[in-house]
Amino acid sequence: MNIDLEMDETWKEEFLARVEKDGPWASWEMYELALEAAHHLSVPEFNGLQAPKHLPHLTILPHQIEVARRVVEEMNGKAILADEVGLGKTIEAGLVLKEYMIRGLVKKALILVPASLVSQWVRELNEKFFIPAVQQKKSYVWEQCDIVVSSIDTAKKPPHRDIIYGQSYDMIIIDEAHKLKNNKTKNYEFVQNLKKKFCLLLTATPIQNRIEEIFNLVSLLKPGHLGNAEQFAKTYGKTRAIQTNDHLKALVNKVMIRNRRADTPIEWAKRHVEPVLIEFTNEERELYEAVKALRRESFAGSFSLITLLREACSSREALFLTIKNMIDKCGGAVPEPLERVLEKINAVTTNSKAEKALELIRSINDKVIIFTEYRATQFYLQWFLKQHGISSVPFRGGFRRGKKDWMQELFKHHAQVFIATEAGGEGINLQFCRYVINYDLPWNPMRLEQRIGRVHRLGQTDDVYIYNFAVKQTVEEHILTLLYEKIRLFERVVGELDDILAKMNLANLERYFEDAFVHSRSEREMKIKMENIVAMIELAEQLGKEGGERHATT
Amino acid sequence: MQQHEIRRFVERYFAANGCTFVEASDDYLTVQLTAEMDKELMNRPFYWHYIERIGGVPQPMQLTLITRASERTDKLKGERLHFGAPRLHQLFRSAQKRGSFIRLYEEPSAPLDGNAALHPWLGMNVTISYECDRKKDEIVSLGLHLISGTIVESFHERMRERRLTPKIPDYCFTISPLIKPRSGIGRLEQYIRSRIAADNHAWADEARRRWADDLALLDEFYKDCEEKPECYYIEKEALEKQYKPRITVSVINGGLFYLLPRSS
Repeated sequence: MNIDLEMDETWKEEFLARVEKDGPWASWEMYELALEAAHHLSVPEFNGLQAPKHLPHLTILPHQIEVARRVVEEMNGKAILADEVGLGKTIEAGLVLKEYMIRGLVKKALILVPASLVSQWVRELNEKFFIPAVQQKKSYVWEQCDIVVSSIDTAKKPPHRDIIYGQSYDMIIIDEAHKLKNNKTKNYEFVQNLKKKFCLLLTATPIQNRIEEIFNLVSLLKPGHLGNAEQFAKTYGKTRAIQTNDHLKALVNKVMIRNRRADTPIEWAKRHVEPVLIEFTNEERELYEAVKALRRESFAGSFSLITLLREACSSREALFLTIKNMIDKCGGAVPEPLERVLEKINAVTTNSKAEKALELIRSINDKVIIFTEYRATQFYLQWFLKQHGISSVPFRGGFRRGKKDWMQELFKHHAQVFIATEAGGEGINLQFCRYVINYDLPWNPMRLEQRIGRVHRLGQTDDVYIYNFAVKQTVEEHILTLLYEKIRLFERVVGELDDILAKMNLANLERYFEDAFVHSRSEREMKIKMENIVAMIELAEQLGKEGGERHATT
Repeated sequence: MQQHEIRRFVERYFAANGCTFVEASDDYLTVQLTAEMDKELMNRPFYWHYIERIGGVPQPMQLTLITRASERTDKLKGERLHFGAPRLHQLFRSAQKRGSFIRLYEEPSAPLDGNAALHPWLGMNVTISYECDRKKDEIVSLGLHLISGTIVESFHERMRERRLTPKIPDYCFTISPLIKPRSGIGRLEQYIRSRIAADNHAWADEARRRWADDLALLDEFYKDCEEKPECYYIEKEALEKQYKPRITVSVINGGLFYLLPRSS
């Protein structure tokens, strides 16, 4: 037998000292209890999971247990956890960490997450898993605490970086790991130089990634698993999406676990989606037309007309801010067409959308979340609702964690309406609410999915209602009908669109959308671009189905 | 560990440490801690420091532990005890600390005709941990006859069947050991070593195979580098930490047992 064997000497010396001094000795009962405790703490098998027995208060879903089991038994503690949004990757990571801690294989762990999620991770590990995780606030924490949660941006900076490099971690967990897809970045290099005995990379969107990005992510976890860069380029360089190469897929699946909503037998709350079409007043219509007329102006190239039009659909306040910026840039004299727009802005006294929202909120008579793209609209809505005796809470992605939590609490207990701008999404759970108004629609369908994901997630027990606002005969109506009705975004389960796009190698769908909505010079151009996108998606779906059928018959 | 086992453990732990039960129902129990137990469990050194400084009358805390959730316990201010609860693990640690060393004498079951000789034994309960990227524990209980050098397994189970007392019983005397405790421990360690050596260690071979596989991948990844970057060595070291099989033996508890000789 050629295995290192270590005998613990501490008991021996203490025992001999007591023999010498003739005591003190334990009672038989205490002696029995000590042995009994040791029995309870011992792990009788290499395989299987101990953690669930330690967490009876936590509802762990079967797919989460299975993930933890596979990570420990089949992947040797190094894995990419890539479940679709809302399936509980944090729970899975917590389970794996807990399992290793129970087995005594992990004592020191470093958890790197986006800054906005640090305190949430700390809370969940402590409350759900009884893991004494600590937020890194002072530099001594790295050395003195065993389980530390930090943002990667803090960790990679001196002096932290050097202290961290001096630690020997048993486990590294990285949330939102898709941010490490580029191996030329400082973050990548930082993680590459960490000692990783066990390592979990959490990401929700690995499939969108280009193939080199998958290579980078896997090479961070397990260098060589996909060969070195040169071999990889040679073998798979022509493969554009991972789905199209079965060999590569099998290889990646050895280190990556991805559960889909559709594969889990969880009953999801139903989702009702209702488009709400709104009629402009005459004044609003005139304003909209005045903005549209800017297209003919000589300085038209310097701004995005579509953006202005979308702002005009949101609120005159949102539009005003942009117009004012444009005027400031002109310096001195206000160009005549902008002057005209300003006039029209002043002429508008009501907001048809806001009126509609008010009507809807009153009829719902329950908690409602309103999403808007514009800060100015957010302010306006808060003021407007207050005028009508409805309390609301504003929310922005830029809020500090404490403020986020506070606002979330305020909404839960004291206010009827929650008005959020974009990026308010990450890291907040609003399951207690089930009505969402999309006051204006984002051009990126993924963002829309994230919005809805705040309420339509694990733990939501009631049906969810989504109202999509759009003003008739405007750019919004096009977005609504062309994009959201033709690709039937809302009827799909989360992640489905991701998959379809991956099959089609449409990794850069976002870029197509951006091109259509931000860079189009006219509505016509936008319409044509959107129709192209729809056609591509339909084709991808067609291919996907055929692929599925072929697969089924073989 | 089932809830009723937890309940039983907790009751025995507090009773063994001289605490009294203020209240006890099927669902919960409230314990009046002694000063010693308060210091052991409640983590309030400043209070104790203060009380001792001013010579005040200490008021040890009461602890309410809920072992089964019910309507009644919902309204109760107490700690829920389950297998993962930090409090239970604190009690585990405390029990292990307080139950590490023992010395006991066997009490004859029938009145003796004359004097009886008690033979010295060294008892030891050990955990053997087999570790690589996975882990397994085995608990072994050994006894060594300090006269003849005979070693028996399942020693603790045998002790459970005997009547043991901390004081030497009347009309009994102890035979002094020929083997001194230090060398006795050495003999038991040697026994454990050969016991382990005789075992099948397929687990270690498998771990080494996994290790070799990952190492080969790593070498392949950096094979084109003339001078290997630092992260190569970091990763290599991490693989060793992850996979290298090792066995650790730690003593749970043990002590001296003076026993009446048996013919069996």
